[in-house]
This record gives sequence, structure tokens and C-alpha cells, in this order.
Amino acid sequence: MTGANWSLLELAARLLEREEREAVLGDLREVRESTWEGLIGVFGLVLRRQTNLWKSWRPWLAGFGVAIPSSFLLMGVSLSVSWSYQRLLCPDLLKAASLTRASGLLVLLWQAGLLMGWAWTSGFVVGSASRRTLWASAVLCYSPCLFCLSRFRVDSLSRYCLLLFLLPAIGGVRQGLRSSRMKLGPALLLALGVTLLMIPTMSAGQLWWNAPRLSLGWALSLPAWYLVATARRTVELSAQNLTKTI
Amino acid sequence: MLIMLGEFEYLLVTAAAGLGDQAYGAAIREEIEATTGRKCSIGALYTTIERLEKKGLLKTWMGEATPQRGGRAKRMVRVTPKGVQAAEDFYDAVMRVSRGAAWVAGRSGSAT
Repeated sequence: MTGANWSLLELAARLLEREEREAVLGDLREVRESTWEGLIGVFGLVLRRQTNLWKSWRPWLAGFGVAIPSSFLLMGVSLSVSWSYQRLLCPDLLKAASLTRASGLLVLLWQAGLLMGWAWTSGFVVGSASRRTLWASAVLCYSPCLFCLSRFRVDSLSRYCLLLFLLPAIGGVRQGLRSSRMKLGPALLLALGVTLLMIPTMSAGQLWWNAPRLSLGWALSLPAWYLVATARRTVELSAQNLTKTI
Repeated sequence: MLIMLGEFEYLLVTAAAGLGDQAYGAAIREEIEATTGRKCSIGALYTTIERLEKKGLLKTWMGEATPQRGGRAKRMVRVTPKGVQAAEDFYDAVMRVSRGAAWVAGRSGSAT
């Protein structure tokens, strides 16, 4: 096998986990398999691994239950935050909304906090539920983003304001990859915080949608409550283990 | 609880048991290909090893790296007592179900 062919094989094997990649590449080198057969072997193994992963409900929840709907809704919230910021810079718009500069700033901070809370918790759920299928969740998140970016037609705002949610969401994903569950205390605090921030904001019509405001808000708060539910299970398991030990 | 192995799982456990301390990915693969005359894909081998390890029939760990492997480590495999029992159960079942089969009669070492 030439150096270039081996590099190609090593590149393909990057789709495998570290230890498995080590063993597989060593096996291929030892039996002196051809590049073509090696590539078929590696891709076959990757395909089998991915198929096994998708037998679980977790990647489905992360991709179709959280990544797609949350990215759509969070783009709406991002737009709303951008409007509030723009309004704060323009006294005429503030007056039209019957807001003072201080109350306009409060609305902006309130919305920004809510956006960060929703995006971070959604990201955490995606990261923790789809560790090895994160690529699929990322594709499912970016597809609606690309769709909306291509159709964004507001002269006074940059289209990239739709992506304000991405930074806290990526932060949540990183945290979710590191620790699959939150402790009950912080999870509960986060969920309650997000819910309490949501209710007045949504019912006062400060976010961009109209009719089913509260239900959409609840939909975005679900990841936070999912974190509470999974955190509580950790506590229960610890309690069970403690009982067994005693 | 009785764990019934599949055909390929049985081949893998038997090959690993036969290789003893030298059982690792490439060696098991060669053994299976040599005895069955069939191609054994890397994908089938490693996913089956993982499945059997989850069932507690195999134990694996990363072994030493050798120059002939380009300095890459081996994934060593050992059959657990539970794995030996499962393989024995599979073999007994095959022998029992084969009694009286047309292709068994007249062969030396046939099932009795």
C-alpha cells in the first residue's frame, strides 16, 4: 500500500473511535489488505456503528425532537432580540412602542436572558443525547438555518441576526458532551428561571409570534425540564445505591 | 439465563478460544476465513466482538503495538466462562438438532 493510499485509509478511519481506529488500522497493516478492501472494511464498520446508534431513541430525540424545532423557534427569538436592540437605538421606535429607554433595555435583557437559557438547555440536551450522532443533529439544526437565511428579507437587519442563538447553543452542546446529566439543583434553578422569564415575556407579546405564544414558549422550555427529569433520576439512582449499601 | 449464540457469534467465540492468548482482531478474522472459507468483514468482526462483550461472553482490552502493525495496538480478546458455556450450549443444540439428518449419516465423528 502506498503512502497516499494509507493516508486515505487513515482519513476514513477517523470516523471510528480512537481505540477502534488503532486496532482496525493495525489489523489492516498486518494483513496487508488492499486500499480498496480496507476502505470497504472501514466504511462498513462505520455504517454498522451508526446503524446501531440509531436503534436508540436518543439520537431521534436530539435531532428531530430538539435540533430542528428549537432552531426554527430560536431563530424567531433571535430576531426578536435584534428588533429590541434596534428599537433601543432609535428613540422614535421606542416611543411608538410606548417604552422608555430604561424599560426598553429591560425588555432587551429579559429577552436575551431567555434566548440564552433556551438555546443553552436545547444545546445541552442535543449534546448529551447524541454524543456519537452529533453530526446528524448539527445537520438537522443547520438545515432550517440555511433555509431561513436564504429567505430573510428585512432591510434594516442583517440576516445573521437569526443566528444569535448559536453561540449559547454551542456552549450547551459542549457542556452536554462533557457531562451527560446535570445536578438536580442547577437543573431545577435553570428550568424555573427559564419558565419564570418566559411567562411575562410571552404573555406581554414581547416576542415575535402572536397566537400560540405560550405553547411555543413551553415547547422551548421542554429541554430545560427534560434536564430536571434526567437529573432527578440520577438522584433516585444514588438513593437506591445508598439504600443497597446500607 | 441461557444465551443462545448466533452462527457468526459461535464462530468468533470458538476461534478466539482456540487462539487463546493470541486472540485479537486480525488473528480471529484469519482463523474464521481459513476454517470456513468465507470472507469475514472487519465491520462484522468488530461489531460482533462489541456485542458479545456487552453480553459478558468476551472480555477485550488494548494490547501491545508491534512494528508489523505500523506501531498500532491490538484489540485482545478473551472468552469468559459465560462465553464458554454459551458456546457449549450452541454446540450441543447443533449436535442434537443434527441427529438423523441425511447429511450427517455415514460421516466419521457424526452426531450420535
